[in-house]
Amino acid sequence: MSLTQSARPTPTLFNVSADNWRLAIVVALVVSIIAGIVLPAAVSFWLIGAMVALVAASFVVNAYRRRYYGGLLVAPAIAVLFVMNIFPLLWSLGLSFFAYQSNQQSIRFVGLNNYIKVLTNEIAAPDNWHALSNTALFVVLTVSAQMIVGFLLAMLFAKQFPLRKYLLILVLTPMMLSVVASGVFFTYYYDPTFGILSYVVNDATDGQFILMSSKAGAVAGIVFADAWMWSPFVMLLVLAGLVSVPKYLYEAAAIDRVSAWRRFWSITFPYIRGLLMLALLFRTIEAFKLADLVILLTKGGNDTMTISYHLIRIANEQNKTSEGAALSYVMLFMVIVLTNLYLYLANRRNKGG
Amino acid sequence: MSTIEIRKLTKKFGDFVAVRDADLSVAAGEVVCLLGPSGCGKTTTLRMIAGLERATAGDVVIAGQRMNDLSPEKRNIAMVFQFYALYPALTVGQNIAMPLHYEKVGKAEMETRVNKVADILHLREVLDRLPGQISEGEKQRIAVARAIVRDPNCFLFDEPLSRLDVELRHSMRGQIKGVLSNLSKATVIVTHDQLEALTMADRIAIMRDGLIEQVGSPHEVFAKPANVFVASFIGTPQMNLIEAQFKGYNNGKAKVVFDQQDVDLSVDPAVANLAPGKVTVGVRPRAFTVVSQDTQDTIEALAELIEPMGAETLIHARTNTGSDIRVVVARHNRVKTGEVLHLIPDRAQTHVFAEDGRAVRA
Amino acid sequence: MASGVSFWERIGFRSGGGVGDAGWGRTLGVAIVSLIYFLPVLFIIFTAFKPQELALSVPPTLSPTSFFGLIPDQFVFSPTLENFGSVFSRVMTAGGAPEATGFDRFFFNSIVIATVSVLLALVLGTLASYGFSRYPLKGNDTYLFIILTTRMLPAIVVVIPIILMFRAVGLAGSYTGIILLYTAFNLAFTIWMMKSFFDELSTDVEDAARIDGSSETKVFLKICLPQVVAGLAATFVFGLILTWNEFLFALLLTGPDTRTVPVAMNQAVASGGRGTDWTLLAAIETLFLIPVFLVTFFLQDHLLRGVTFGTVKK
Repeated sequence: MSLTQSARPTPTLFNVSADNWRLAIVVALVVSIIAGIVLPAAVSFWLIGAMVALVAASFVVNAYRRRYYGGLLVAPAIAVLFVMNIFPLLWSLGLSFFAYQSNQQSIRFVGLNNYIKVLTNEIAAPDNWHALSNTALFVVLTVSAQMIVGFLLAMLFAKQFPLRKYLLILVLTPMMLSVVASGVFFTYYYDPTFGILSYVVNDATDGQFILMSSKAGAVAGIVFADAWMWSPFVMLLVLAGLVSVPKYLYEAAAIDRVSAWRRFWSITFPYIRGLLMLALLFRTIEAFKLADLVILLTKGGNDTMTISYHLIRIANEQNKTSEGAALSYVMLFMVIVLTNLYLYLANRRNKGG
Repeated sequence: MSTIEIRKLTKKFGDFVAVRDADLSVAAGEVVCLLGPSGCGKTTTLRMIAGLERATAGDVVIAGQRMNDLSPEKRNIAMVFQFYALYPALTVGQNIAMPLHYEKVGKAEMETRVNKVADILHLREVLDRLPGQISEGEKQRIAVARAIVRDPNCFLFDEPLSRLDVELRHSMRGQIKGVLSNLSKATVIVTHDQLEALTMADRIAIMRDGLIEQVGSPHEVFAKPANVFVASFIGTPQMNLIEAQFKGYNNGKAKVVFDQQDVDLSVDPAVANLAPGKVTVGVRPRAFTVVSQDTQDTIEALAELIEPMGAETLIHARTNTGSDIRVVVARHNRVKTGEVLHLIPDRAQTHVFAEDGRAVRA
Repeated sequence: MASGVSFWERIGFRSGGGVGDAGWGRTLGVAIVSLIYFLPVLFIIFTAFKPQELALSVPPTLSPTSFFGLIPDQFVFSPTLENFGSVFSRVMTAGGAPEATGFDRFFFNSIVIATVSVLLALVLGTLASYGFSRYPLKGNDTYLFIILTTRMLPAIVVVIPIILMFRAVGLAGSYTGIILLYTAFNLAFTIWMMKSFFDELSTDVEDAARIDGSSETKVFLKICLPQVVAGLAATFVFGLILTWNEFLFALLLTGPDTRTVPVAMNQAVASGGRGTDWTLLAAIETLFLIPVFLVTFFLQDHLLRGVTFGTVKK
């Protein structure tokens, strides 16, 4: 039997066939909704899961029969992401339109009220906006610090030299530490009584140095610890780009007497641009989620509350689940706008040569 | 003056000696080819001239100045790389203009000069494209254009044509030769293709295992190979190299014995000074005359395989004890397999190599 | 202008910049920077060897040896292995006998959960990124962006529905649950990272293999994968590091049997009400660092081998 590309006609909606994904979606939706209403949660979950699997399977069969290898390859990853990430995301998106507290049983549809409250309520909103602006400050400071330090470190390690392997692993280690341990130890380094920093500064200035006593100091302390931990991440990505530049290009540049500045922008930079972008993207996303270091170092004191920590308080400590969900979707919106801006700029530059 | 001179140049990588005591001088306007099998050290020699590799010992002198310790930037040389080394993110025009930034020429002049070389190498249409979007032949011409856009001390080419197909290679040989002849710079071309070397070079330096075996004009290295290696490396089909016992020299002829045949060969008079013993006799396949009778001057061999090559015919023949002899005869000379050939080698093209491999020649 | 060689070139800095390799001069410079960068880690490791009472000494003790008198005596402590013992077994209640802390189990959990989920994400993610790169779907970029957004929300927001979901289906506190969650957690990064590597590969070689009659599977396994080994290694290392140290999901979704080290570490350090037990924390972290450190170290060659894209080797 020979299968030629797109020789098979797409089955119509009501044609029962293993590759009729349209029918599968309709069936899955109907069954899921009915199950969700009628059956208990434990049963309906597995039934809905089975429906997801059914749709996925029909997609795969469809992709296989029509040789859409793309769909075939992508389907398993999408299925896992759907169950473990997209589904919970949609759930919490739905939750943001309800009044719900995780410590109470009642649930009530309130439309956009949560969003309105989060953004405009005179008691809640100022805190939220404040946490957001603090987060913006942290994003700008930590990401730029990481990019600069990571980039400089990568340049240091770009060439082959004796013992490079052993020195590189030293620089990579901060990234491998558990945040719990490194955060706790940074409180020690910054401690006004016992800490090394104060010991050194007091020795030099004869004063009582307390880093965390001002907002600037507290922010600097958090940014320093975060940049220290995550600059190696940027470094490793940039380094992967740097070592992929073929050596003969540098040789040609030496023969052509190209200046160091021009050599970097014309030859090296094009090779690391993509990875630099990836590092920027992921570090920005992570910086928006900055909470653990703040919790450990300042507990949000000295005006260092970030939106992510604020969310943990609202959703976990105050049990305002749906309000937290609404706030996090406000935040998600901002991250999406920002990352799209990055991607747009990156693509435009790529096309512009 | 644009000249290159290397003296006793040596390069070691750890214990491995890549180049040993290489001596070579290239005059202004002269094209020298470094020819040899892969791994013979020719590219290393070129890279030492360029400054991309540091010499272990010896001197590199370019334009009368010792340049051993100078980085490539300070040597003012132009080089065409084997893989062209085009900057992938820059357009063809920007690639060609790259060496001009150093000279701090104005934008207008830069454009004029780029356009000029683009015209010479027929690259006008592709100036705005990226290296990823053009053909192999164009890439090669861009690499050449980038080299000739400025006025360097000398030109270095590393296997410039190795990635082109046969036809393109043929036309590029002519083009490069034409371009170079107008520039009167010292030029070194590294190649493993003897045809490339024979057609493009004023002189050829043949290398093996890090040693320069012979330097000479294309005619010299073909007609008077200095040793067995050069003899076997230059010329297609390969020269016949026959191990023989030299018995003595008499009356312009050498008495040699090989494969149980006693033969008197017309050879160079210098052979007279050679002590009897083992020698290698080299005869070009085109140097045989086929005669009808077995005489004291002839070599006897049985034709085993006939390969018509158009104007000529290549015969693989075998002596009675199995030495393979290649003979090229004119097309009208009909030979059948199984026929016994009586071959007389031409004196001028018969070379005797002493036991150490060196040619015995006046 | 034959200026000869500068001092810097002699000791290994070539002004050629990128041509040839740097020498011991570069090693010295980088060693100083690397050591300074490493100091906070070194301090944690040293703390793990300190006697408990010296943990908060003023001035801080810095080194287990005086390095032949280089470091003044007041900064030197005499190292002990006691802390490592108390990671696994220590006195929990005043006057009581030492009890097993269960940390052997937590280490085992961390290793199993991190390894399985990162490998799973690598397999699924590599397949998907190859699909996204070679067989773009309609709205390819949109799919990729949606995948990226799964990383954008703070864990706390996603974790509530997941807790409810896990409880409903009995996955709470099980290996399967946390492994699946971490797999999803790593997928976004894996897909984006691997796609950028596949995008850079020249498709000429693949097409040549197809013309020679290789199946799609063979093209992927024999032609593409070997070219992205550096990417696979880098992605594995990043994924491992992030998963290894993940705290919030582990705190809320693992049970007593499946607890990972970061959670247990947090509890061990905070418990007892006597404030932070510095030496214990340092000992746990030091032990916990070893596996990722070793994996990274051994994959480093792959990380740095680089991928000489688009160049046909001789």
